[in-house]
Amino acid sequence: MRRLRGGRPVTRWLLVATRIALGALFLWAAATKLPDMKGFAQDVANYRIVPALLVPCVAAAVVGVELLAGLALISGFMARPAAVVVAGLLVAFIAFVAQALLRGIDLRCGCFGGDEPASWWTVARDAAMLAAAIVMARDPGQRQPLLEDQRGRT
Amino acid sequence: MIRSLFLRAGLLCVAGSALGIAGNALTPQPAPLGGRVVPAADLPGAACEEPRPGIAPISVEAAKPLCLACTAVFVDARSAEEYASGHVTGAVHLAPGESMEPLLARLRAAPAVIVYDRDRDCAAANGVAARLQALGLRDVRVLTGAWPEWLARGGPGESGACGACAVDGR
Repeated sequence: MRRLRGGRPVTRWLLVATRIALGALFLWAAATKLPDMKGFAQDVANYRIVPALLVPCVAAAVVGVELLAGLALISGFMARPAAVVVAGLLVAFIAFVAQALLRGIDLRCGCFGGDEPASWWTVARDAAMLAAAIVMARDPGQRQPLLEDQRGRT
Repeated sequence: MIRSLFLRAGLLCVAGSALGIAGNALTPQPAPLGGRVVPAADLPGAACEEPRPGIAPISVEAAKPLCLACTAVFVDARSAEEYASGHVTGAVHLAPGESMEPLLARLRAAPAVIVYDRDRDCAAANGVAARLQALGLRDVRVLTGAWPEWLARGGPGESGACGACAVDGR
């Protein structure tokens, strides 16, 4: 017989579902940027935070990190470090969007490709994902595989 | 334990960054690694094409002689940092939401006031120009093409903080 490690089974399944959903969102975010990396680099530049020379490298790196972190969260391999990375990215995204809104810079957010404008709704959505990422990062159960043999236990 | 967690997170970041930068060339429209990408609004002709109805536009070509003859006061509606890094010669800084009180006497005395920003939709310049109109200033215009166009067409510029805004209120 197999059982879930740590916490009540329902809670554990909820955490697993959240982890997979968060991973899928990041994987989707990376996938939508891949067809037009040049456009995403322009979106990054429009935030007026990253120096012009570093913009293409930062844009490419962000997509790579999103891709890898998304895969890690979905697969469960290195899920906790991936949650830390995702939390860090989301803090940066929130700071980027909030400063642009506060400075009155009108731009598209570059979140999931397309022309979605940056807004306080974007900040709220990122904050919700950040909360989920923090829960994942703090959850000790993410260190082990979800299911384990009950060997040595009754 | 925490150290190990952050170490693995750091490794994931490095691996992801390497993957992204290495894989960039394989994408249909890669980011131009090694090149410069500036904000779209800083490209000539990309900023502030048409102010909102009720606010008269003025082109860079028409505004330049007014600047050289000192017959108009230029108002920079961008951020203080952007203003400090370069602005129209003699321009005062007045971002949306900032108090107009220190500058009002000088602006009222000017034959014309020209407001500029660097936004695609003239948002900041429109906001400042509308407030000036509401205070009774009659000849308030918004510079089309804004700061990027002014620079591209060789308009006179200078850098430094705005003394007029904070010190003497001229």
